[in-house]
Amino acid sequence: MEALLQEFDTLLLYVFAGLSLAGAIAMLVLQHPMRVAMALVATMIWLGAIYGLVGVHFIAAFQILIYVSAVMVFIIYVIMLLDVRDMAYTRRYAGLLIPGAIAAVVFFGVLAATLWRTVEVPLTTTAAFGIGQFAVDFLQQYWLQFEVTSVLLVAAVVAAIAVVKAGGKDHG
Amino acid sequence: MIQDLVVHLVYIGYALTVLLLFGTVLTWVERKQAAVMSDRIGANRAYIRIPFTRVKLIWWGLFHGMADGLKMIVKEDWKPAVYDKFAYALAPWIVFTPILLVFAVIPFGGALEPAKLFAGIPAVAQWFGEKTYQMQIAQLDGGLLIVFAFGGISVIGAMLAGWSSSNKYSMLGALRAGGQMISYELVMGLTVLGLILIYGTFDLTAIVQHQSGILLGFLPAWGVFYQPFAATLFMAAAIAENKRIPFDLPEAESELIAGFYTEYSAMKMGLFMFAEFIEIAIIGALFTTLFLGGYNLPYMSDAGFLLPGGHEIPLPHGVVVVIQLVTFLVKVLVMSSFQILIRWSLPRFRYDQVLMFAWKFMLPLALANLTVTVVAVWLLQ
Repeated sequence: MEALLQEFDTLLLYVFAGLSLAGAIAMLVLQHPMRVAMALVATMIWLGAIYGLVGVHFIAAFQILIYVSAVMVFIIYVIMLLDVRDMAYTRRYAGLLIPGAIAAVVFFGVLAATLWRTVEVPLTTTAAFGIGQFAVDFLQQYWLQFEVTSVLLVAAVVAAIAVVKAGGKDHG
Repeated sequence: MIQDLVVHLVYIGYALTVLLLFGTVLTWVERKQAAVMSDRIGANRAYIRIPFTRVKLIWWGLFHGMADGLKMIVKEDWKPAVYDKFAYALAPWIVFTPILLVFAVIPFGGALEPAKLFAGIPAVAQWFGEKTYQMQIAQLDGGLLIVFAFGGISVIGAMLAGWSSSNKYSMLGALRAGGQMISYELVMGLTVLGLILIYGTFDLTAIVQHQSGILLGFLPAWGVFYQPFAATLFMAAAIAENKRIPFDLPEAESELIAGFYTEYSAMKMGLFMFAEFIEIAIIGALFTTLFLGGYNLPYMSDAGFLLPGGHEIPLPHGVVVVIQLVTFLVKVLVMSSFQILIRWSLPRFRYDQVLMFAWKFMLPLALANLTVTVVAVWLLQ
């Protein structure tokens, strides 16, 4: 019983990894935009579960807080407003099928090669990297990157509004 | 190891029982309180008859919640021709499950020492050893973040329900739900930041332990006395997050016919309702944890009472545990009843007013509160 409980973490890790992989594959295979979004949400949640299992609970919380309950909520909001009679998404393959397939093969080749070389993945625990340590690192080393990202996001928002305004003028 | 598992399974069982009981009882509280407030008798028909006797247990209609649940379960699950069957079936669960999960990080009692609790039975006491357990399912250093993370997931459920129903009222309800819940979650997060600054931790157990002291010699050191402004804003934002009157625009009965769950019947609709009532209890529990000292009774510690003036009343461990559990439940019940009081007191906003209230009134106030807190904390350091 004790040994079983020790191994339970490993078992859970495989379960969560399998589920997040299944979600990722579903995201690529499914066609309806809402189904794709739901598959992506599932992947995010299971990735969060893996973070929680490794012991960095607050990274798991950020994963779900930022990706699921902020980004994906907005994406789903947009998909909700799509015209359901628009059948563009029912086409199975896009025009760039062959280049895409080649890129996918290369990507998986690189990934497999990297995994082949590095077998041991170092895992941190809560003791090593708690939320306090994260805050200190974040505000002392990475604050500049964070601020630059927000400037980029503001630029993107301005650009999006400009595109919408320009499009509105053309169509009257 | 197995001891940990046993203790935590007991906690999980307790948490589920409490939440489901609250969900059932609050449906009755809502009706009965409405009746009292509008000077009617209210729900008083459902009863249980003790078998083979003529004794009917009415208990002020307390069994109406059970009758509702039974009715929902045995009712026909009518399946409309929906746009997306899978999303339609999944949506109630996406709303319901995260709300139950939030309770995992809320401390519902102080430290539990099984060895002291079972002191009368030496075999059991020895098996548990000297370990103490916080009465909380998962003690995480990012506890409060987890609460908000799970809170965000249920937005997706409401939007999915409205979208998949292929009904324009549902669609409108889903759009309203999405916009409203995103707006108010932001306000809720900002109101709590001030408390985080004062306590210096995200861990809900540590937050509650911070509130066990005494302020100015007589006041219990509860969050509501540090941040009265934030407490008010938090409560308002939480009620809006739960989509209840005066913020019930997504489900407005008179204009949208229950909004995003118009097309649901039987227990699927019951899950939405149940989720709403359980969320009342969850909001009560969160408010209690953050602002009302959680399981702390004023002047009481894990050893017993210490009254101002130096009187000490030591209590055995078992009594302390029971007092803490009951204190937490009573506080949650009072806060739930307060939310129902608001529901029956205020009229409904217009939708533009709801969003304006969030972005132009509550958000600036929350930011101002945060600024003042930051300056105060900085000056006092």
